[in-house]
Amino acid sequence: MAVYRRSTRHRFLLVLLVLTSITVITVDVRGGGGGAMESIRRGARDAFAPVQSAADDVINPVGDFFGGLFRYGHLKAENARLRNQLNAMKGKVNASTDAERERAEFAALNKLSFADNLPAVAARVVATSPSNFQETVEIDRGLPAGIQKGMPVVTGAGLVGKVVAVSQQRATILLLTDPSFNVGIRLSSSGDVGVARGNGTREPLPVDLVDVGTKVTGGEVVVTSGLQGSVFPPSIPVGKVRSAKVQPGSLQQEVTIDPLVDLNRLDFVKVLLWQPSSSPP
Amino acid sequence: MTPLNSPRAKVPLVLLLFLVVELTVLDHLRVFGAGPDVMLLLAVVAGIIGGPRVGALFGFAAGIVLDLFLETPMGLSALVFCIVGYAVGNIQGGVLRAAWWIPVVTTFVASVAGVLLYALVATVVGQPGLVTPHLFVIAAVVGIFNALAAPIALRLVRWALSGMEPERAYA
Repeated sequence: MAVYRRSTRHRFLLVLLVLTSITVITVDVRGGGGGAMESIRRGARDAFAPVQSAADDVINPVGDFFGGLFRYGHLKAENARLRNQLNAMKGKVNASTDAERERAEFAALNKLSFADNLPAVAARVVATSPSNFQETVEIDRGLPAGIQKGMPVVTGAGLVGKVVAVSQQRATILLLTDPSFNVGIRLSSSGDVGVARGNGTREPLPVDLVDVGTKVTGGEVVVTSGLQGSVFPPSIPVGKVRSAKVQPGSLQQEVTIDPLVDLNRLDFVKVLLWQPSSSPP
Repeated sequence: MTPLNSPRAKVPLVLLLFLVVELTVLDHLRVFGAGPDVMLLLAVVAGIIGGPRVGALFGFAAGIVLDLFLETPMGLSALVFCIVGYAVGNIQGGVLRAAWWIPVVTTFVASVAGVLLYALVATVVGQPGLVTPHLFVIAAVVGIFNALAAPIALRLVRWALSGMEPERAYA
């Protein structure tokens, strides 16, 4: 009898905890990311930031060592590739000086390099995602630097993602490979628009809504479209076309792109202080 | 006044230790795009040592603390981990003198199940793109890492719970 009662009591505790969890989930999801949950999270992240920094200082050398072990083959191949590249580059340096001057003049004329008229904050990536189910990184700047939720994040190569959470000392960036990430894009050669969405680590991003009649070339660069209501400013490079094909009877092309930025090795990023509302189309 | 060697002081300490490991060390331990999940491990190990009640409580606490640092809805990990801790406690909690490998195997199975359950619940709550072939890779990696770490985790949790009064029969 006693055993029976005990297991009933345990079950009651489980039901209580499950109901509590479901309540918290509901409050968070329905609350739309604002309110009490948000401030609790911010507090926790700020409180943890110094602990994280201290632990990172201790762990990083050891971690790099193990990371190196896992990637030994990759590093070796990369070393060889970089040597080849270096030799090729040495040959090109002389020829390129003139081209570089031309390019600089051209860029100054047309403002070709993206988003150079937007204020930006440089930040360092201090942590990757603690979960296997989200593609995020954390940076070491937060609210005092002017960072707000929704701001785009870039490196020199192109789009990295967008800010999804900010506290006093940290900001969390959703990478463009996360399954919940969407970005309106424009194909650079044809000017046709579509929507790219994340598909997980190291997976190419599928692009929806590209017209069947549009000519898409492999390796072509796609940029953010910046159409009205878009969450990104226009003309930030996003990726390169990896494949494009039309299935018979389909209403859209199956286009996939690879991100231009190497998301596995982010170190420094720039947060563009830009919000959809702040610069209407 | 809580004495320093009572579970009331030691349990939060172990929880914090696991959190620090989860948020710092594990950044560097990624295989096939997946890393271990020591908060889930904590729930499993607590269930093994303390039974369903302790498993569920540890799972809930570990999950809610982890949720603070994730972008997925708050409470999601808490829900999954407390169910896992409870289930492990029910299955394994009664076994007092098990062979050394039994907790390791239990940890592997429970971690794999926990990852799959998480993806399932997250999908129900509306997180896109989690149920993919890669999910099974993640589950396997988490299972293996957690099983390897299980002996250390078992010692830590046993230490944290030592001095706890044995569960009353509530009769």
